[in-house]
Amino acid sequence: MAKKRGSVRKKGLWHGWSGLFLKLGLVGLVLLAGLTIYLDAVVQEKFTGKRWAVPAKVFARPLELFAGQNLSRDDFLTELSALGYRKADSAKQPGQISVNGSRVDVYTRGFQFFEGTEPAQLLRVQFQGDQVASLGGAGDPVMGRLEPLLIGGIYPAHNEDRILIRLEQTPPFLVEALVAVEDRDYFQHFGVSPRGIARAMYANVRAGGVVQGGSTLTQQLVKNFYLNSDRNLIRKGTEAIMAVLLEAHFSKEEILEAYLNEVFLGQDGRRAVHGFGLASQYYFSQPLHELQLHQVALLVGMVKGPSLFNPRRHPERAKARRDLVIGMLAEQGMVDQEQADKAMAMPLDVSARGSMADTSYPAFMDLVKRQLREDYRDEDLTSEGLRIFTSFDPLMQKKAEQAVQSTVKRLTRADAPSPLESAMVVTSAQGGEILALVGGSDPRFQGFNRALDASRPIGSLVKPAIYLTALERPQEYALTTLVEDAPIALQAEPGQTWTPQNYDRESHGWVPLHQALSRSYNQAAVRLGVDLGVPSVLETVRRMGVDHDWPAFPSMLLGSGSMTPMQVTDMYQTLATGGFNTPLRAIRNVLTTEGDPLRRYPFEVEQRFDSASIFLLQQAMTRVMSEGTGRSAYNKINSNVRLAGKTGTTNDLRDSWFAGFSDDLLAVAWIGRDDNSNTGLTGASGALQVWSEFMAQAHPRSLNGAPVQGVVMAWVDAETGMGSDPSCEGSIQMPYRAGYQPLPGPGCNPVLSEEGLKDGANRVMDTIRGWLQ
Amino acid sequence: MQMRLPGLLAIATILVGCAGTGGSIPVVDSGRPVSNEDITYSPGAQAPVQQQAERRTDGAVVVMVPDQAGGSQPIQSYPVDVQPQGGGGFSSPGTSTGAGGGSSLQQDEQLDGPVLALLTAARDQEGRGDLGGASSSLERAMRIAPREPQVFYRLAQVRLAQGDAAQAEQMAQRGLSYAGGRPTLQAGLWELIARAREQQGNAAGAAEARQRARVTS
Repeated sequence: MAKKRGSVRKKGLWHGWSGLFLKLGLVGLVLLAGLTIYLDAVVQEKFTGKRWAVPAKVFARPLELFAGQNLSRDDFLTELSALGYRKADSAKQPGQISVNGSRVDVYTRGFQFFEGTEPAQLLRVQFQGDQVASLGGAGDPVMGRLEPLLIGGIYPAHNEDRILIRLEQTPPFLVEALVAVEDRDYFQHFGVSPRGIARAMYANVRAGGVVQGGSTLTQQLVKNFYLNSDRNLIRKGTEAIMAVLLEAHFSKEEILEAYLNEVFLGQDGRRAVHGFGLASQYYFSQPLHELQLHQVALLVGMVKGPSLFNPRRHPERAKARRDLVIGMLAEQGMVDQEQADKAMAMPLDVSARGSMADTSYPAFMDLVKRQLREDYRDEDLTSEGLRIFTSFDPLMQKKAEQAVQSTVKRLTRADAPSPLESAMVVTSAQGGEILALVGGSDPRFQGFNRALDASRPIGSLVKPAIYLTALERPQEYALTTLVEDAPIALQAEPGQTWTPQNYDRESHGWVPLHQALSRSYNQAAVRLGVDLGVPSVLETVRRMGVDHDWPAFPSMLLGSGSMTPMQVTDMYQTLATGGFNTPLRAIRNVLTTEGDPLRRYPFEVEQRFDSASIFLLQQAMTRVMSEGTGRSAYNKINSNVRLAGKTGTTNDLRDSWFAGFSDDLLAVAWIGRDDNSNTGLTGASGALQVWSEFMAQAHPRSLNGAPVQGVVMAWVDAETGMGSDPSCEGSIQMPYRAGYQPLPGPGCNPVLSEEGLKDGANRVMDTIRGWLQ
Repeated sequence: MQMRLPGLLAIATILVGCAGTGGSIPVVDSGRPVSNEDITYSPGAQAPVQQQAERRTDGAVVVMVPDQAGGSQPIQSYPVDVQPQGGGGFSSPGTSTGAGGGSSLQQDEQLDGPVLALLTAARDQEGRGDLGGASSSLERAMRIAPREPQVFYRLAQVRLAQGDAAQAEQMAQRGLSYAGGRPTLQAGLWELIARAREQQGNAAGAAEARQRARVTS
């Protein structure tokens, strides 16, 4: 009854108002037409231009492989695992490795570098000890490179990140699975799918709730790409119109490719993981095209709810969803049952959090960003997809972090009022490239970057500058010149008397210059520095690479001036490279998103000191390690490795420093507290422990002790420094500036030993006595 | 909403024709992939130039060519079985020689393995006018052999070609600090220093460097 009445009423209304409805309908049509024209412009404008803002990607150094390379098999495997290489019986395609005892076969992936393309190739790497013994492969390659590890990106505070991929780079089953699960009629419909909607409605009615959506892939793309997340009818309508418009202008393949790059697949802190390219790296540390059926199915399953099916947080739920996807593929005949069973039997295969593949390096990234901001605008860094290649060495970083964390833990006293903090910088000794950077005792903490920003008094680390100033005056000073270690009172600042003490509260009298440095005698250093002139020493610090505004007070001679660990690194780098100052670099070059070279940060040097003076200073600094304040390093490091370094301790044991280098590595370590209170640590008992822990793991190359040009060796008496002869007891060979070596002393004939002389003399006396008798 | 859809679609379809750009697909793929896979190519793909450079070149040596006139010649850092490309347009007139045949080599002046491969790659890049690439390859060689003066010699040459005479001089100086006992190489480095100083307008310094080049060779 009610129904009938209603229809009658409707009919009547229609008769009465039909004219008005017609007019209104026409107006509606015109409005709709306008809206459609507008939407069409929107659809085309955004889809044809640059579709996404892609943050800059920052890469580590590529691992080089060649015979003789310092690289242990285990480190190699660590790097390969971080890069997502998978073990196989034999490496047959890029991304695979096979391990057989000390031999590792790796099928590299190939990569576009600044200076050229590295091919994908099979390399057979044979290890011996901590070295690559030989490299083999098709065509006898002499060297090869792995692709560099992606260590971060440069994002605005909240941002989408993605690695753009092309449709032809997708692995098998990805498109099939996506279509099967999300939009079965994708290749038939025109943007919206009445069949899909009907199917979804049927399924929802049957289930008594919303279990399936009727949105096509195109609609999903439109929703994410053009619209906000409001859910209402008007937006649904707009979405449908835009989906149809998109389909009208662009091919199914183009739309699908955009979808693959747009879809949201997870949240990584403040970074949103978009697209299958980045998702593949984020969940498997592998490039997308290498993924296998079970991995593809996992990602496709996640489209429905990236956090709900997050394989790291909800592994069981994620696996159930994955297996459901595999089942749908089998059901629709895309894979056979055997393939499906095999894939379902596979583990999730997700890379572990906290492994090298999934670690943040806030201190190093901070440095990279600071250097980039000098040359690029923020919006370019966060949107242009630049590829930043750095010198960062994740293996060295791991060792540096372990050294810092284990030592700080060991040295922390339970009753300490504030936590012990630490920082470390590791560079390539000759090239001045930053290999590792630790900004605090928690290397994951993104905040105060002590390596760059903690400026602390450097204590005795300044002393090499005093001795270098002396050694640059060869007519006055050599390593064997005696200097006086005796109490001294000085006008420090106007009106204040300063009487520096030695650490052991004793004075050692006249000692050879090298010994004054290796034992870090304060009084000798101050007396020498005052003789040389404090301004001259401070100028030497400047020439070593650190610009400072320290007043020329004598207390500066014991390091009351402050530096950051990075500045100390700069200063010691000049010593490690034989007198050449090298601006420390973290960035090697930058490529555009297309892989075209954009900018290089070239290696630059400037000679600041003659190599002979530096060689002599290095000799004294190796004595720090062999017989001086740094000798405990050899408790951990093989004593065959020649090292040079210097300890630093500041007043009231506030700062503990160590700076030192091998032939290939320079490392600076600092320990202190943020509130600047006492640590109870000297340079030797604190920072040196971090340093030697690191060096013990890093397998440094021994310093070359062969004299450089302008240096000669001479035999001298160890105590007096007077010219001597190898035949004399207590004589040692010391390096001198050519032309300033002492004249050889008279030989001490070993045949004429003292007893022999006495014997002879007695015999002579006997003879004389005989004559007399 | 679903009721109105067919009508909307019909209108939309009509309007597409008016508003569209006429059928052609104006997709400019400016968001080109930055992924690793974008530049990865399959094993069968065409081998790049550098791959050839990095193959073992048996019997290849780096040849130091002394100049009879008393000056010095650049080190020909190419394998003898490979022809140099166009005399390496970077070097100043008159210093480029051919495969510099039978000059005797000291043992330590022979390079092999990765460093030789990289010097060869750098020479090819330089020949193509890709000085930035050459520089990168040489710095890669320097990371492998940080004390090899021939690498600094080549770096100095490339810096000179890039117009950075100051850095050319510094690179050569650095090379000298590692070139003890290698007089021919020392002479070559002094000669480079002389040229770098000339370009910086330091005639007296250049003359002094030339003098030292003569003394050491």
